[in-house]
Amino acid sequence: MNERSTHPTDDAPTAANLEYRVAHLRDRLARGDSAELGVRVEARGPGVLLTGTVPSAQCRDRVLAAAEEELAGVQIHSDILVAQTDSPDHAEELS
Amino acid sequence: MIRVAAVGDIHMGPDSRGALRPAFDTLPECADILLLAGDLTRHGTPEEARVVAEEVRDLAVPVVAVLGNHDHHDDRPEEVTEILQDAGVHVLEGRATVVSTAHGRIGVAGTKGFGGGFVGRNAGEFGEPIMKEFVRYSRRCADGLRRSLEELGEQGCEVRVALTHFSPVPETLAGEPLEIYPFLGSYLLAEAIDTAGADLAVHGHAHAGSEHGMTSGGVRVRNVAQPVIRRAFNVYHLQTPEPAAAGTGAGAPAGHAWQSADDPAPGFMT
Repeated sequence: MNERSTHPTDDAPTAANLEYRVAHLRDRLARGDSAELGVRVEARGPGVLLTGTVPSAQCRDRVLAAAEEELAGVQIHSDILVAQTDSPDHAEELS
Repeated sequence: MIRVAAVGDIHMGPDSRGALRPAFDTLPECADILLLAGDLTRHGTPEEARVVAEEVRDLAVPVVAVLGNHDHHDDRPEEVTEILQDAGVHVLEGRATVVSTAHGRIGVAGTKGFGGGFVGRNAGEFGEPIMKEFVRYSRRCADGLRRSLEELGEQGCEVRVALTHFSPVPETLAGEPLEIYPFLGSYLLAEAIDTAGADLAVHGHAHAGSEHGMTSGGVRVRNVAQPVIRRAFNVYHLQTPEPAAAGTGAGAPAGHAWQSADDPAPGFMT
């Protein structure tokens, strides 16, 4: 897990406004350059947890940059994975 | 035996150019066909579609695709379709294609599908025009799938596969928040599959969902969204009723360095 924390502001987020800020981040991820509808953003105590799988390392960086911008002052934990591109080593038999 | 490779939600863009090609180049060893279950791009732009096209151009197995909601975002699905078709991809929406391979004829019926939810927790065709159109659109997609599968049934394919982006069943959504299930699939797709019959249903869309499910009619459903299967594609072996005559298509001989899960070789990797 990566942890990133931006500088706390004097006006620390309350639970209520964190909820809306999380919603705004989700909206931004869905409609912005990243189009990341598959990233889940959830409040975890005073911080926020990002989970999901993105297509590339650049996409992950864009998501993290957007999160740091939208959630300035909030500790961000990232469990975002980059999609794996290996060939399978077995098949499933459907009889 | 027919070997079906499938993946969805590859969400390609310029920064992922070439990422899947090395794995796709191994397809002749392990599969007779590659199915792409939609969301091939991020925003549905021609630029992104060209990345996908180059990823699958001149593959040694036939490629059949449906588009996903992401592929519609730029309001140019026809252009995306054309770019993929120019690269040799069969792009389906409310229609079917039959692919002849060395192991038999594979019929694939495809639609993007749409949401609406599952029995008892589904949207109804009632109220505001936009709400009614939501349900009608989902129904049109499902009707197209049913008709296509029925057409395939008359053509005597060794196997029939239903290819969608949205899910026909809730089982393969397990892991997603329950509240968004109506945006992830529709029972109308499952009803179409069970009415017309199919040997396998493949979909994507639900990144946090689960791979395995089944319609109430007993058709296996597989969610092949790349974040779910965690690889470039998965392969499913479908038994054919009887040995098929040699095909005329781009099929390849069965792989020798590649094993079935039920018959692991020494050194089998897990």
